[in-house]
Amino acid sequence: MTFEIPFGPQHPALEEPINFMFEIDEERVVNVKLRLGYVHRGIEKIAESRNYQQLVYLSERICGICSFAHTLCYSQSVEELLGLEVPERAKFIRTILAEMERIQNHYLWLGLTAKEMGFETLFMYAWRDREIIIRMLDMISGKRVNYGVNTIGGVRRDITESMIGRIEESLKHLEVRAEYYTKVCTKDPLILRRTVGVGVLRPREARALCAVGPTARASGIAHDIRADDPYAAYGEIPFKVVTYRGCDVASRMYVRIDEIKESIKIIRYALKNMPDGPIRVRVPILMKVPKGEAVSRVEAPRGENLHFLKSNGSDKPERWKIRAPTLANLSSLCRMLIGINLADIPVVIAGIDPCIACAERVVLIDSKRDKWKIWNGKDLWRYANEWYRKKYGF
Amino acid sequence: MRRSEIRRELRIRARDIIVQRDRRFIVNIEKKSLKRVIRRLLKMKNYTHLSTITALEVGSKIELIYHIAFTDALISIKVQISKDEPILPSIVDLIPGASLYEREIHDLFGVKFDGHPDLSPLLLPDNWPEGVYPLRKWWSTDRTLSKLGGKR
Repeated sequence: MTFEIPFGPQHPALEEPINFMFEIDEERVVNVKLRLGYVHRGIEKIAESRNYQQLVYLSERICGICSFAHTLCYSQSVEELLGLEVPERAKFIRTILAEMERIQNHYLWLGLTAKEMGFETLFMYAWRDREIIIRMLDMISGKRVNYGVNTIGGVRRDITESMIGRIEESLKHLEVRAEYYTKVCTKDPLILRRTVGVGVLRPREARALCAVGPTARASGIAHDIRADDPYAAYGEIPFKVVTYRGCDVASRMYVRIDEIKESIKIIRYALKNMPDGPIRVRVPILMKVPKGEAVSRVEAPRGENLHFLKSNGSDKPERWKIRAPTLANLSSLCRMLIGINLADIPVVIAGIDPCIACAERVVLIDSKRDKWKIWNGKDLWRYANEWYRKKYGF
Repeated sequence: MRRSEIRRELRIRARDIIVQRDRRFIVNIEKKSLKRVIRRLLKMKNYTHLSTITALEVGSKIELIYHIAFTDALISIKVQISKDEPILPSIVDLIPGASLYEREIHDLFGVKFDGHPDLSPLLLPDNWPEGVYPLRKWWSTDRTLSKLGGKR
């Protein structure tokens, strides 16, 4: 039985369609197989025929949500090859925007996860608050997504005095909201029932499967690129690496909410201590980059983002390798899914913050009856919420 | 992390270790010592995870770079294999998280990993022709269109 329900165009998180093949025994997931590549755009191949300036724009479009992390990572690797020192002010502006993007992403995630649980009010609340930070990003960059602020040698937009006032104001509001979400997510019976002890990833497994970002930090691994391998202005800003030991979806939620609070503090500190001066070093548009290779790492909202760039001395790169955080977390996701109830699948998948809208189709094999069912994301979502409603009456 | 520490822990020659900059090291090794080196890396202090595996073409060879992250450094282990016989031992038994990275390279570069449990296509479509590896230099995006049909 196949349904064709458009799960699509308007959805803001549509970016990574992925196929999971679940083998189930009654209602337990026994095995998971995954298949990627439905939107493989061949960016690494295209990059070999573009020059370095064009690639700034291409890197902006790798991901719609963490576009700033990708341009930052790419620009840093080119700057390293050129031996370019970015002005101090530019480093602070980069830090501020990266943290604003993190807040934006975590609110997006909170909303989507709430929606997976059938908690539509929280979804609306979280996205309303996300709108505030998006307006701030719009004010600085002129765009709501794909900011176009990063460039090789610095940033293209400055943060002025009048902007600082407005950002401070919205941060104050967001901080109050973050406190509220902590309260909701630690007390609400529906959220607790759906997340505590669900999708467990033990620290040993997280380490072996190379989990990154909030997924790893929710399993008690204090691993954060901002602290381990400081870039931009993170070396000068004090902040705390948030970890939780619950290893479940609830911990992943608490890590992200606490990271929002931590990001607000980082932005405040950076705005106060931002030095004056130029915001970029001009580089020629058609430039040749000296031979060499560079690895750049950035803590994107979803985890470690790695760009490897090799130059052959011409104006086009020899090889540009991108590893986005979702790929690193997929192995861990497969581990989390094994042994869980069918009804918990949506929440667990949402837990690592992939682009869940993209679970375009799910194939279920009932290992006892040897029957195939093809479900799409919406059917699974409906099934999960029905199951919990019947059992606990939510 | 210091160069001498890497040399002592991995038991390799000093000239195989290149210090790129602060917190970045490159270690050149032979294909046959790959697993031995990875095993030693795993026991080192501050090891966190395998960041990724990069593959690229270097003349008539394929170079694989294992980016291994520590809390205070990033070590890139470089191995070169010939294009005619692109076989390398898999490290999935040592680092299970390497599975998807190896499958990706198997798809896009045609490197076979000895001992990998499942090298079925991960990224390429089902009707993708055999023996065609899209990230190799001879392949171009125009060829993709002619092989699979469709318009720009």
